[in-house]
Amino acid sequence: MNNSQASGHIPDLDLITYYSENSYSFLSKASPWIKLIGLIAIILILTIVKSVEVLVALYALLLLLYWQIGLPVRKLFDWCLLPVLFVLSLVILLMWNETGVPLFSLKFFWFSLTLTDNGLLLVVRLLLKALISMTSSLLFLMTTKYAYLSVMIYRIFPFPIDQIFLMSYRFLFITLDMVDSMIRAFKSRGGGLIKSVVRQSQTFAEIFALVFIRSYDQAERVNKAMESRGYDGTYTTSTEVPQMKPIDYIVLLVFLVVIIYLLLFHNSSISR
Amino acid sequence: MKKHIDPVQNHAFSEPHELIHIDCASHVYPDGSIGIHDLCFRVKENEIVALCGANGSGKSTLLEHLNGLLLPSKGNIYVMGEKIDSTTKKDLWKHVGIVFQKSDDQLFAPTVLDDVMFGPLNLGMNRGEAWNAAMEALRAVGAEKFINKIPNYLSGGQKRLVSIAGILAMKPKIIALDEPTSDLDPKHAEIIENIICELKENHGISIVLATHDLDLAARIADRICIVKGGSVIAEGRPSDIFYNVDLLEDAGLKEPKIVQVYEALCEFKKIEIKRKPVTVEELVKSL
Repeated sequence: MNNSQASGHIPDLDLITYYSENSYSFLSKASPWIKLIGLIAIILILTIVKSVEVLVALYALLLLLYWQIGLPVRKLFDWCLLPVLFVLSLVILLMWNETGVPLFSLKFFWFSLTLTDNGLLLVVRLLLKALISMTSSLLFLMTTKYAYLSVMIYRIFPFPIDQIFLMSYRFLFITLDMVDSMIRAFKSRGGGLIKSVVRQSQTFAEIFALVFIRSYDQAERVNKAMESRGYDGTYTTSTEVPQMKPIDYIVLLVFLVVIIYLLLFHNSSISR
Repeated sequence: MKKHIDPVQNHAFSEPHELIHIDCASHVYPDGSIGIHDLCFRVKENEIVALCGANGSGKSTLLEHLNGLLLPSKGNIYVMGEKIDSTTKKDLWKHVGIVFQKSDDQLFAPTVLDDVMFGPLNLGMNRGEAWNAAMEALRAVGAEKFINKIPNYLSGGQKRLVSIAGILAMKPKIIALDEPTSDLDPKHAEIIENIICELKENHGISIVLATHDLDLAARIADRICIVKGGSVIAEGRPSDIFYNVDLLEDAGLKEPKIVQVYEALCEFKKIEIKRKPVTVEELVKSL
């Protein structure tokens, strides 16, 4: 696969995998374990920090890193669309009537909605948290080889969850290819243009049903092929993940210090 | 009291090199459709047998019986002299490997190396032994350069090579290939064809080939079995089978191109068909 073969999926698994397999940045060479710990540290920071300043700084840092190691920044902003819509759809209900300085009010017959500075900050904070989660996850996925990722899944998760993860990731590619080819066939016969919402919904329901049936069928065939090679319900990966180096332990220490610092000084003092 | 003589053991004395013996086996799927019906079939040591038949004739069902994925509803299957039943089928995969028609069904692991090592690890090899077996198999099919690739990003031909390596790494006595050259470009089809011949010549592996590509069967098979309606309706040497137009028509098949050309030439020159060539080399010699 090459970059130009990327599909329009959000997230585009093909493109993510292309970068993970072909990126030679310092982050790609770093131990996958330290990157995973970094990701966990960021998630931890997101849960304890409410400060908008810290969140903005963290997001800026991640964007800078993303751009510096040669990952596609423009594509990243395309991919932001879904998390942004998701957060907005939730926060549109929560942002009203927060305590704080009122910015404006909407009066209805029997009630009023007031947007305060804290309500607005809630929107910004949740948006930032969603974007940081997404960007840091992409940074991890786009700099870690699929083989390493599978071994880490195998080591971290208990049986049978590890087996499900190990096989579903590969299966996702096949399913997405299948959906892609079905949609191409659909478009090649004039589909895709919204002529009637009802007709369009019906067609997509049909595609969804077909994907479900074909996936089931494919799973049966994969299982049969695995059994023909002696599969008894346990699959072990054979790839070795590079071990952590001394520098990785130093980075780990830095993560710890940052988290403890934020926990002690930024959690309550700067939170709004 | 009449002593029961196991047919395969009886047969084994007369033909010691028989690896598989299917004795009047039938298989009915749960929906009532018939997969194979009173099918008799043999595979001998170090031979390439081509199962030729139209779509839905029962070729793939037969292959799945060879590996123990399916058991016959009626009749018996003997592999290496042992009768296959629900208790003995679990070890059958160690002797008979199947290369499936769609490589995507077979390649499930994160990398090519992981996938090829899957079988050897299931055989109980340690990681080092499994790695050696996998590398040896990948080298044998010329796919060692793909070891760290994700199977999804290989071409159809490369996937097929890796699928064959995955089976070869288990060092089976018999390899069954389901439509091995379907969907492949001529270059990759030729590579696969050469590999199949090498598996027989260099590794001493018997090959069972399910195909409706009669040109391929004519070039590489030692024996042809024509399958129709779940039964083997005829078997013999390629030159005998492929010049029987009525038989092929009955089975929904068409003669290989070489046979068509030779027959047309004989008709044009008004001479009797004598030599029955089935390969280009044989045709050239005949001319």
